[in-house]
Amino acid sequence: MAGSTFTRRRIILLLALTTVMLVTMDLRGSGAVNGIRSLFGTVFRPVESVTRVVVRPVENAWNGITNYSDVLEENQRLKDLVAYGEGAKIGAIASVREAQELLALNGLPTLAGINSCSAQVVGESPSNYAQTVEINRGSECGIKVGMPVLNAAGLIGKVTDVYNGRAVVMLITDPSYSLAVKVVNTPPTTTTVPGAPGVTVDTTTTTTSTTTTTIPRTTTTGIPGFVPGATLAPTVTTNPSQVTSPNATVQLPTGTGDINKPGEANQSEITVPPGADLPLRETGALEGRGISKAPVVRFIENQPRFGEVNLGSPVVSAGGASSLAPPDIVIGTVSRVIKRSGSLGPLLEVKISANLDALNFVRVMLYQPSTEKVNAP
Amino acid sequence: MMDRILDLAQNRYFRLFMVALVVLSLQTTLFSDMRPFGVCLQVMLLLAASAGLARGSETGAIGGFMVGLMYDMVLTTPLGVGAAVFAAVGYLAGYVHSFVHEPNWWSKMVLSAGASATGMVLMPVALTVVGTEGVLTVNVIGIAFVVAVFNALFSLPFERVCRWALSEPKTVR
Repeated sequence: MAGSTFTRRRIILLLALTTVMLVTMDLRGSGAVNGIRSLFGTVFRPVESVTRVVVRPVENAWNGITNYSDVLEENQRLKDLVAYGEGAKIGAIASVREAQELLALNGLPTLAGINSCSAQVVGESPSNYAQTVEINRGSECGIKVGMPVLNAAGLIGKVTDVYNGRAVVMLITDPSYSLAVKVVNTPPTTTTVPGAPGVTVDTTTTTTSTTTTTIPRTTTTGIPGFVPGATLAPTVTTNPSQVTSPNATVQLPTGTGDINKPGEANQSEITVPPGADLPLRETGALEGRGISKAPVVRFIENQPRFGEVNLGSPVVSAGGASSLAPPDIVIGTVSRVIKRSGSLGPLLEVKISANLDALNFVRVMLYQPSTEKVNAP
Repeated sequence: MMDRILDLAQNRYFRLFMVALVVLSLQTTLFSDMRPFGVCLQVMLLLAASAGLARGSETGAIGGFMVGLMYDMVLTTPLGVGAAVFAAVGYLAGYVHSFVHEPNWWSKMVLSAGASATGMVLMPVALTVVGTEGVLTVNVIGIAFVVAVFNALFSLPFERVCRWALSEPKTVR
């Protein structure tokens, strides 16, 4: 009995030490651990491929039983979406081309200039705690660890392991995922009716005879071809005696010219600098929180200029010399704003534009940040 | 050469390795796709528990460690975490089973369910210890329950397979 206890203790001690050693080596990025994983993958992949073929009928039967009604509903919904998207697509393509031409004219990098490798998702993570998928392209395609992975809707994750003929992609929802992002906050707009008898604006007065008129971020909409920020602001000339209290309303003069067309509102004395009404951008860090929770953006500063973050504001990758993703890849939209006290900025929950539950074809952008590129000798 | 191959084939842990290879392929294909109630069933964990039920706590611990290490190889979690948890599950299943006076089919099912549920709780705890964030949530309870129920249903065939794989080599006359 004593011998048995000794053997048992020895086994437990041996297993515990082995565990500690393996965890330490793996967390320190040991090459030996990667080698063992790669070797095991070489042995295991053929077995897995055979099993995948054998169990496919069972999987299909299971999906047929459990997802039939969902598939029907989704099919109907997708038909509607396709019809809706056809019209928007043409306009979007034209806009993207224009944007790329503008970026190219200014010598700025665009996503169109980055090579990519298309792949298909062949397997999900077998774990309940890691959000990864496996794709059927690997190092032979030029894929390297850290490269961003997209589908048609936007960013889905990054490559974490690369082998010959396969790679593992960590999804954006994984708790270990983090990426620098930009939140594009659209300034609040006020709709005014052109040609209306009067437009009210907030005014503040000083005690001297000078009247300062402050134009809020007001965009006159509904005019075809009107570009915010590229026009002259309406002028308010007031008599000090007429304005006696702050936030008083004044009647704007109704001239014959259209005040929103450049050159036709030449009574103006105040000019809004171009770009004042352009969407404001603020950078933060996107972090995954597991499959059941939406990712969040942290470190958004409480800047008065940036203002309140609007729901639905787009979230795109920030790029940068050390970022693993190039700038302006669509990630999603702000779905919830969690305000925090003190100097802590708000916490933004992000609704990812890509559907991570139904991934099929994906694109790995063969992008490496400039800090990781190896210069040829 | 042939004698060495035969010796290797007679080694019970080699047989367990071969069985685990097949079960792991099922885990990464069939069971990662079939997700009842949104939960990925853990047949590798069941194999570790069954090793303990079939051959006792020591064999269960070693078998569980081996099975867990193989599972770690295909996951992105730190290598060794799954091995430690599965070893604990194998040991626990074998240890508790040794107290059962007359083991029968339902006692094995109950022990398998208990060991599986324990493993599913231990796994996020271990991951949190090594620095993974966001895995120790309330969802763990639901996941543990579903995995425990399904592992109880599959426990008898797995226990039989483990009993065969981990049997001592017979003397050839």
